[in-house]
Amino acid sequence: MKKTIKFVTLFAALSLVTGVVAAPASQAAKIKACIVLDTGGVDDHSFNAGAWAGAQASTALADVSYLPSSSSADFAPNIKKFLDQKCAIIIGVGFSISGEIVKAAKANPTTKFAVVDDAGLDCNADYSVCNPVANVKGLTFSTDQAAFQAGYLAAGYSKTGTVATYGGAPYPTVTIFMDGYAKGVAYYNSVKKKNVKVLGWDPVKKTGTFVGDFSNTAKASQLSQGFEQQGADVIMPVAGGLGAATAKQSQTSGKSVTIWVDTDGFYSAPQYASVLLTTVAKGLGNAVKSVITDTATRRFTGASYVGTLKNNGVSISPLHNFSSKVPAALQAEVKRIGGQIASGSLKI
Amino acid sequence: MKKFWNRIAGTALLPALSFLLAFVISGLFIALSDAKVLKEASHPLKFMTTALSTVGNAYLALFQGSIFDPNLAHGHTVWQGFYPLSETIVTATPLILTGLAVALAFQSGLFNIGAQGQFIFGAIGASYVGFHFHFSPVLHVFLALGAAIALSALYGGFVGLLKARTGAHEVIVTIMLNYIAGFFILWILKTTTFLRPRRIDPIAPEVNPSAQLPHLAGANFRLHAGILIALLAAYFVWWLLNRTTIGFQFRAVGANAAAAKTAGISVSRVTIATMALCGALAGLGGGVHVLGSEHALTADIGGSFGFDAITVALLGRAKPTGTVLAALLFGALRTGGRTMQSNTTTPLDIVLVIQALIVLFIAAPTLVRFIFRVKNLKTKDAMTAKGWNG
Repeated sequence: MKKTIKFVTLFAALSLVTGVVAAPASQAAKIKACIVLDTGGVDDHSFNAGAWAGAQASTALADVSYLPSSSSADFAPNIKKFLDQKCAIIIGVGFSISGEIVKAAKANPTTKFAVVDDAGLDCNADYSVCNPVANVKGLTFSTDQAAFQAGYLAAGYSKTGTVATYGGAPYPTVTIFMDGYAKGVAYYNSVKKKNVKVLGWDPVKKTGTFVGDFSNTAKASQLSQGFEQQGADVIMPVAGGLGAATAKQSQTSGKSVTIWVDTDGFYSAPQYASVLLTTVAKGLGNAVKSVITDTATRRFTGASYVGTLKNNGVSISPLHNFSSKVPAALQAEVKRIGGQIASGSLKI
Repeated sequence: MKKFWNRIAGTALLPALSFLLAFVISGLFIALSDAKVLKEASHPLKFMTTALSTVGNAYLALFQGSIFDPNLAHGHTVWQGFYPLSETIVTATPLILTGLAVALAFQSGLFNIGAQGQFIFGAIGASYVGFHFHFSPVLHVFLALGAAIALSALYGGFVGLLKARTGAHEVIVTIMLNYIAGFFILWILKTTTFLRPRRIDPIAPEVNPSAQLPHLAGANFRLHAGILIALLAAYFVWWLLNRTTIGFQFRAVGANAAAAKTAGISVSRVTIATMALCGALAGLGGGVHVLGSEHALTADIGGSFGFDAITVALLGRAKPTGTVLAALLFGALRTGGRTMQSNTTTPLDIVLVIQALIVLFIAAPTLVRFIFRVKNLKTKDAMTAKGWNG
């Protein structure tokens, strides 16, 4: 018995000692860029993964690291940890972390901060007055512009005259997709004198269909099936990883096609490529990368970044497998609308 | 003196050995999941040293992140270096209270899986009184915590009542009530009473400063008076179990319900009282969490405090002191895991592996006895629920 214990203690002691000796020397030239993730984890194939991918693409200029959050109680300690580590820039992912980022930014004016999916404003208790903070950059995305194109495309592609969308939860970052989509369909109707119906979102009343969270696969498939039964043949799920449930439903039933969101599903979810009409892509990684680059090259400003069609912050992905199935005229119209929105001649 | 050491060894040896084993095995995971280590696979010696330094760095960071960080002591006064320890305590505080809620139930033969739901109701109660009313500082804290206790005692007591009156098993009922609490908080955060003005994501207004628990070590540390409340609660549970008639009845029912009944103890009353008390403890945890560190109710306020509590209570062998120590250990692992991930890129999830392994070994004393060839490893007072028919 003694021997085993001795061996184990020896192992523990040895590893501690060598650990101290072999501590890696820090590189002086690069800046430290630190990402606090939202709940959902780094492998969510959605916005956490996208933000982290953007950080990893900046490793030439920065040493990047991240901390996952298991609940919102982790936000403040995670930010504090990165402050202790003297990160040059701390990027919070998701709008629910925004409050903590702003709080930390005001207490640490020399550190740079950024928030993905929120403007990162300093608001009073009842949110009636909001002011920008000099060392916080908000990264937001006008996804409704690209979703408008997707809605127009969906309406033109639909054979049943019914298209659908649903969200994970009624967050502003989700409903903005649905809003753009529904308005795109409405625009198609007014241009073509058609009457394509949108299920799942009412852009006037701002109400629609939601799963309730971003993890309930069963409910997501149920909703997709329900939409198919009501005749929808194009469905756009705005629910992170749940999009897979809808794509799977499209694959099994053959009655619908799916519009993916965030990152081009043709590459991020290739198993569903056969049913993905297109993707309403959000250039999250690029935005994160550009903030890190700006910090490294001392060009960081607190001016908020808004991803649009014009600056390629949002876009509609290539049709890939569907390029032969969508009439060339429709494809050209979608492209032209994108140009009009970018130039400002078409207001959403 | 020797007797004293024997007693310590008797109760602490199994957890200590389990702890050690868990760290050794997790060390293997850390080494084998590291790309740097795997690159050296063809050089046995280099492989060993890289592996050892990786594991050593990870555990060093775990220590730095949970107890004392010399990097933080620079420039400031030395005690700033104990910031990680204060974070450990902040994380452990709600865990102590939920852990007690499970431990107390174990003592009277009940398996309280509902600490999660009770915690959520406590948080809702404390939050509402905290943001909706204005009182003088001390009074406000007491009223908010009182609301937390009252609401969650009802939620817990309801389980006791169902079990006493209808024989519904508390495991099933508490699991189901956890779901109800989880969805209830989602709903309540959509109502205009609870939803913060101009927000649509589920978050309640911040509790008024008068209802926030005071900081114990200045504004730079998150350490708050909640730990004192948690320690008082642990003392209360110890006192209740060992110094009062009610506590004796609790333990008697836990040891043998049929015998207790024959001896004239009302089992149903004990069941209801235990569950109400357990609810109150877990709810107090929720209240302390909101008033102490979070200050606002969110949909995920419950985190995994109620579920980790089961592990904490098991590790603490259902004793108040043990539960406090186990909660501190878990708090340390979680807090330290953050530094481990950010300093050494060893994933935070390794902490979960360590936690799980500790419990695995605690639950399998024969295995530990076999590995370390210890003969007189005391396992008799390991408290667990009395099974499905209990």
